[in-house]
Amino acid sequence: MLVEHARNVMGIEAASHAEYGGPGVPVVSLLSCSLVESEIEISITPGTRLAQIHPGESRRIERTHCNYGLAPDFAYIASGGGMRISAVDDTSEVRAVERSEHTFFFGALYQPQRTSSRDHPHPVWTSFVRAVQG
Amino acid sequence: MSRVITVLMDLSEQDASFRYTVDALDHAVAAASSDVVVRIVRTDEIDVLGDGVVIGPGSPYRDAAAAEDVIRTAREKGLPLVGT
Repeated sequence: MLVEHARNVMGIEAASHAEYGGPGVPVVSLLSCSLVESEIEISITPGTRLAQIHPGESRRIERTHCNYGLAPDFAYIASGGGMRISAVDDTSEVRAVERSEHTFFFGALYQPQRTSSRDHPHPVWTSFVRAVQG
Repeated sequence: MSRVITVLMDLSEQDASFRYTVDALDHAVAAASSDVVVRIVRTDEIDVLGDGVVIGPGSPYRDAAAAEDVIRTAREKGLPLVGT
């Protein structure tokens, strides 16, 4: 999502993902600290769709399983071209983004699926399914 | 006709992230009492997108350009999308 946004919305035509190697400008880079099988506490940005999805929760614990994130030099792209930051972690790194004018366009550098259960479906997924239903 | 969610995911069915993703969607569909159909598609076998798209875990993808094309289409056409 971030590479597509960088290339086609923010005009960084050479934007790339460091995991794929090769030439280009890696807007997604290896995290300084791996988040494989980890938990992070996120702070939800007020007024966003994510805040609507988690009403009354300004912070919450989520589980992660990744080694890559938005490169610090390109953090600005998460707040431009119709994209906005939905959540950051306790180091202020971007952990979720969304498009403000879109029906439902949400990306997370955590896995909301990892804290879902049949008794407690994760609100991101239930909100997504409702958006698909229209 | 039931609405369709296409999940782009190249992981094997034995991978924990694959199971978490499929199960979480099942939980959400059940909670919504929905008849939404969830289909898993590899990035090098993308055909139709349906009514919503999940860019699943498990990069690097087999066909990253195809996955990026799907994201662009969802952005431009207003298709609901979640990427994790």
